[in-house]
Amino acid sequence: MGDLKDVAVNRMTGKVCDERIATMKHAKRRVIGNLGNPNLLFDYTNREIGTLPDDNRAHFKWVSEVAYKNIHRIVTRGYDTTELVEAGYGVCDVLFIDFQARIPLVEEKKVLDYILLVGLEDGLSNPALVARLVARGKSYLTQAAGASVFAFGEAYGAFKNFGYMLEKYYNKIAEEKLSAADAAALCVEECYHEDHFGIDAKYVKDPTPKDLMAYAEKALAGKKELKYIPFLKEVVKAAQAKLGYVEADFMAAATAAMMDLDFTPDAAWCIMGVTRAFSAGAHVCEEIERECERDGFDTYGKTLTPKEWYDGPTDRPVPSLKERGAFKGGQAQTPEEWKKMWDRKAKELSGSGFAIDFVLDDARKVVHGKGKK
Amino acid sequence: MDRKPLIQRKTGISYKTEEKTVLRGFDVRELANAGYTFIDGLYILFQGRIPAENERAMLDYEVAEFLEHSMSPSAAAAIGVMNGHPMLPAAVGASIATFGGAHGPGAQHGYMMKKYLDRAVLEHKTVEEVAVECVDEYMDAGRAVMGMGQPQHLDGDPRAEPTHLKQEEIGVVGVYLKFQRALEKRFYARRFAEGRSYVAVNMIGAGNTALSDMGFSPNAAWTIGCVTRGYSCSCHALFTLKKGRAWGASRNEPMVQMLDLSMIKYIGPEDREVPLQSEREAYAMNELKTGEFKKWVI
Repeated sequence: MGDLKDVAVNRMTGKVCDERIATMKHAKRRVIGNLGNPNLLFDYTNREIGTLPDDNRAHFKWVSEVAYKNIHRIVTRGYDTTELVEAGYGVCDVLFIDFQARIPLVEEKKVLDYILLVGLEDGLSNPALVARLVARGKSYLTQAAGASVFAFGEAYGAFKNFGYMLEKYYNKIAEEKLSAADAAALCVEECYHEDHFGIDAKYVKDPTPKDLMAYAEKALAGKKELKYIPFLKEVVKAAQAKLGYVEADFMAAATAAMMDLDFTPDAAWCIMGVTRAFSAGAHVCEEIERECERDGFDTYGKTLTPKEWYDGPTDRPVPSLKERGAFKGGQAQTPEEWKKMWDRKAKELSGSGFAIDFVLDDARKVVHGKGKK
Repeated sequence: MDRKPLIQRKTGISYKTEEKTVLRGFDVRELANAGYTFIDGLYILFQGRIPAENERAMLDYEVAEFLEHSMSPSAAAAIGVMNGHPMLPAAVGASIATFGGAHGPGAQHGYMMKKYLDRAVLEHKTVEEVAVECVDEYMDAGRAVMGMGQPQHLDGDPRAEPTHLKQEEIGVVGVYLKFQRALEKRFYARRFAEGRSYVAVNMIGAGNTALSDMGFSPNAAWTIGCVTRGYSCSCHALFTLKKGRAWGASRNEPMVQMLDLSMIKYIGPEDREVPLQSEREAYAMNELKTGEFKKWVI
């Protein structure tokens, strides 16, 4: 490879990472800044240019287990979608087909329909408000409706986290030979403080979650064995013993029912997020029709923030650039110094992020407990 | 527990108390217990009314058929976003937000129909007459007639004509389908007369027409169409998350991945040396003078 080997070789490993580099052109460059430093992994003054050439692998294709289409057909999980609807299948059937690759029992379809109807609207809660705020910038309706789904997290609409919690403790019945009551009590003990716990005082006066579970139990009786609704009831009982009068909220009841319909917690999260986006669209329309028609859309800089709402550093003069030369940097030199700085900023500087204890989990690891490998 | 909304608003859509959630006057729990469906809920949400049975069936048909469309910009967005392994809602929301002027422009089609139906009223013309005017004015101006043509289904979207037929079969036909049928007739005739290739009605032309005849506004119809697709896009995102490779760029797969570096085709300016700061002013001035950069400005 001659010079090319020098171009491609990693000084740390002594290897060429990708054989395709050997077929590429390279360009000599003068040294700029630190790019001549021999401690760098590569010789920056002599590197390949242009995009990577093709190799012998098969060309990229959209690989999917879910669906394909050609010029004349759209096929999901093996079924032509036009044939499905002509045969009388509806939206809830197609959700089963898309997410589970199966035609549901009529009773299963009815239970899902019940959940979607009840979950369609939730008043002026976060998805509606997010959508309204985005709409106020005169965005496309789709931008606002899409943004409403972003409101679903690990507290609001925590269908995924709740579902995996329920599954984890349900599985302990078999794995650890616990009674359902003991597994439920353990769930309460370890999780009652979690934002996704789904059992609290919110729904003690609203019978909707109870009705939902009762409907599912009645509809599916004799058709399939339910696991999660009965277990959720056990968890509610255990929670009442520990916390007083609490009930499962809608999120908990809907997730348990959807898991008894064999949807994964992830699928439940997605389906309910999208379901709520329909009503977010209505909230967007109303925001524009009422508020923006009357007051106009929001323009950049229009919104004022009253000084009396402000509790940050007091107003102060801007130093000259010359004065900046005397300023010290913000680098900690010891772990103790670092800790002190971190804690001070967490306490004194809201909005800096230091006061938030948040771990960014890889979504796939969250789903599987560990990575693919 | 403070349960007040973050932003206070008068709303005619719903209210929620400790006891119930009420949508356009109906307690949603009572609706569900009475046997109403999610599809009924969409009518109540956007139109404040319970639909006739044939209207319910028509919307169920349309939402079910529109839900999955394999690889479209929305699914590609969901897959692309999910490759980074954010939370699922990020991919789902992004997929819904892909809908715009090219992908599923339902509202544009709806307002196009409204514009010409308004004209029919004002100028005492028939629906057929204004549909012809619509096609002629759009085509004369070199504009795409909304609802016609799909880049993948070259022979016509397989869902489109069956949707028209279903509307007719179950009796949800109104002024919009009459307009759309007349529009298509004129559109095909003009393209044929001009020796141009066949371009068929697409799912906006068919589905949005049906939604309009079902009584949904252009924006409500757009919401229903685009959000419905969010269901299947979340399924594609889940497949990517659970069975795909993060990043979509792994060299350890037998097939080249979507973000493999060899998938990049670059057609921008040639590779060039970075000017030193000491050379910068003269270099930049020369660029301004030659104006060569202007062809790259986007």
